[in-house]
Amino acid sequence: MNAANNSHSSRRKWIAGASAVALAGCARRPVEWAPVSVHRVAEYSESLYDLFRRIIQEHKLDVAGKNVVLKPNLVEFDQNTVINTHPKVVHAAMEAFRAAGAAAVRIAEGPGHRRVTLDLADAAGYFSTVPQFESLFTDLNLDEVTKVELKNPQSKLKSLYLPNTVLRCDLLVSLPKLKTHHWAGATLSMKNFFGVVPGGIYGWPKNVLHWAGIDECIADLHALFPRTFAIVDGIVGMEGNGPIQGTPKSAGVIVAGASLPAVDATCCRIMGLDPTRIGYLQLAAGNQLDPRSIPQVGEPPEAVAGHFSVLPQLEHLRLNGSPAK
Amino acid sequence: MATGPQDLLARQNADGGWCYRQGGSWTEPTCYALLALAASGFTESPAAVKGAAWLQRCQRTDGGLAPTASVPESTWITALPLLLPSPLAKALNPERLIAWVLEQSGRESGWIFRLRLLLLGDSAADTPAYDGWPWYPGAAAWITPTAMSILAMEKIAANKEVALAQDAQKRVNEARRFLLARHCRDGGWNHGSTRALGYDSDSYPETTGTALLALHGYKSKEVDRGLVRAEDQLAACQSYEAAQWLRLGLLAHGRKPRAPFIKNHGSTMEIALGMLADAAESGRNLLVAS
Repeated sequence: MNAANNSHSSRRKWIAGASAVALAGCARRPVEWAPVSVHRVAEYSESLYDLFRRIIQEHKLDVAGKNVVLKPNLVEFDQNTVINTHPKVVHAAMEAFRAAGAAAVRIAEGPGHRRVTLDLADAAGYFSTVPQFESLFTDLNLDEVTKVELKNPQSKLKSLYLPNTVLRCDLLVSLPKLKTHHWAGATLSMKNFFGVVPGGIYGWPKNVLHWAGIDECIADLHALFPRTFAIVDGIVGMEGNGPIQGTPKSAGVIVAGASLPAVDATCCRIMGLDPTRIGYLQLAAGNQLDPRSIPQVGEPPEAVAGHFSVLPQLEHLRLNGSPAK
Repeated sequence: MATGPQDLLARQNADGGWCYRQGGSWTEPTCYALLALAASGFTESPAAVKGAAWLQRCQRTDGGLAPTASVPESTWITALPLLLPSPLAKALNPERLIAWVLEQSGRESGWIFRLRLLLLGDSAADTPAYDGWPWYPGAAAWITPTAMSILAMEKIAANKEVALAQDAQKRVNEARRFLLARHCRDGGWNHGSTRALGYDSDSYPETTGTALLALHGYKSKEVDRGLVRAEDQLAACQSYEAAQWLRLGLLAHGRKPRAPFIKNHGSTMEIALGMLADAAESGRNLLVAS
C-alpha cells in the first residue's frame, strides 16, 4: 500500500491542477448548496444536546418517521489523542434526531484498519456514553450487502458492495472528526464514507479503494448517497500527521449542512486549507467552492479559522492568507 | 460470558452457517466455528456437517469461496476451509480451493506495478517485494490473508491427502519473508503498513498474534521481538478477540501466556477463537499443521 499511496500522492497534485483547468473551461450549471452552519462550541458539554436540536431546526430537516443512520469516525484505540468522533457528539445527534421524530436512529461504522469494532467503540467511550449502544450499533464491515453499480464513476470502480443498513436508510448522517489526512489532505464528512465500504468483502484496509484512486473513490461514494447530512466534530480536531498520528487541535466548532462538499469546503477554510486544492472536493464540486456561493449560517468561517499544521509535503494545500501559527 | 461449544451451537443459523454477531451466515465465522467445534470433538456432528454443507454452497465456479452467500466473487476467505479437519474440508473439493489460493498474489509484487514504479523513479521500486496474499483479488497483499494462507498451505502439505503444486512451498517461504519484512518498528505487526510518509506505524494485537501464528517454528530476531511485543500487548489488551489471537500466536512459539479477563460480546468469532486458544493451551492447536 505504501507504494500505491505514494503514486497516488503525486497523482493527487496532478489531478487537482488538471481538474481545476479542465473544470474552469466547462460550463457546469451552478450548484445550489444547502446552507452550512458554523457554531462555536468550547467543550464537549451538555450544551451539545440543545445545539444539535437547533441545528436540525435551522436546516429544516424533516426526519419525522424516517430511518436515520449516524456514521461517526471510529479509527483507533488510542485514548490519549483525538482520533475518533467524540461519543457525546454521537449521542447528542442521536437524541436530537429522535426528538425530531425519527422512527429509528442507528449508529453504524466500519473501521478501515481494526476488525474489533465493538471493542474499539467501547474504548472510545461509546458504550458508557450511549445507553444501549450495542443494540443500536451496526458494524458496517460485517453487515448484509448489496452490489451497487456506479454510474459515471470517477474512480476505476465499476461497482461496489455496500451495507444494506446505509443503502436502505432515509438519511445518512456523516459525523466525522475535523482532521488533516496524510493522503487526502483533510478527512471530513465525504472521506468519512470510506467507512461504509465493507471490510468483510474487501478486507482491512479497504485496499481496492486505494488502487481505484482515493480522491476518486471519495467522490464516487458521495455520489452514491443522495440523502445525507453532516455534523463535523471540530471541537477538538487533529492537525499534523492525521488521521491517526496527528496531534489534538482545539478548533472549538461544530459545522453542519446537507451539502457535504460545501460543509467540507467550509471546514477546510476553518483549518486554513484551500478546498480548491483538495482533490476529492475538486472532483465532486469542480470550481463551485467559492465561499460566496455557499450560504453560511452562524459564525462566519473566517471568524473561527485557525491554522492546522500539515505534513511538509501537503504545504501546497495551505490557504493563502491562512492565519499564522 | 459465552465461551463454550454449546454457546457456539446455539448461534448456528438455520441454513447451517454462522453469522459474525447477528444476521446471515458468513464464511469466516462459519470456518472458525467449525474449527472450534472440531477442537471440542464435534468434527462429525450433525451441526458440523450442516456447516460444511453451507460452505459448499459458497464455493464458486472458479473454485474459490465467497465471503457470504449473496456475493458471487471469491476472496481471501478461500484459504480458511483448508484448515478444517479432512472430513469437513473434503466436501469442498480442496484441490480447487488450493488452486484458487495459489493463483492469488499481491498486486504490488507484480511485474507491471514494479515496472511502473521503476519508470516513475519511485524509491519503493528498490525495496524487495515479497509476494503475499490479498484480501480481495487484484489488491495488494496484507498480513492477515497472507498469514492465513500460509497456515492453510502448511496444513494441506502436512496431511498429505491432497497433492500440493510444486510452487506452493515456494509461495509459503516467500510469504513468510513478506511477514518478516512487514513487522513494525515496535516489534509487532499491524495490517501491513509499517511506515507511511516517513512515519512509523504502530502494531495491533490481533495482527501481531496472527503473524506470529503463521511464523510458528520460525526463528529470527523479528520473531523474538514480535513475541516480546505480543506479551506486552496481551497485558494491556482491551479486546477479547484480539487477546485470543495473541494467545494463539504466543502458544504457537511455546510461550505460556496467561488468558486475561476481558469481557466478550458473544460473537461467533470471539467464542470460536477463545475455544481454539484454550485448545492450543492444552497442546492442540488446530490452526497449525501438526
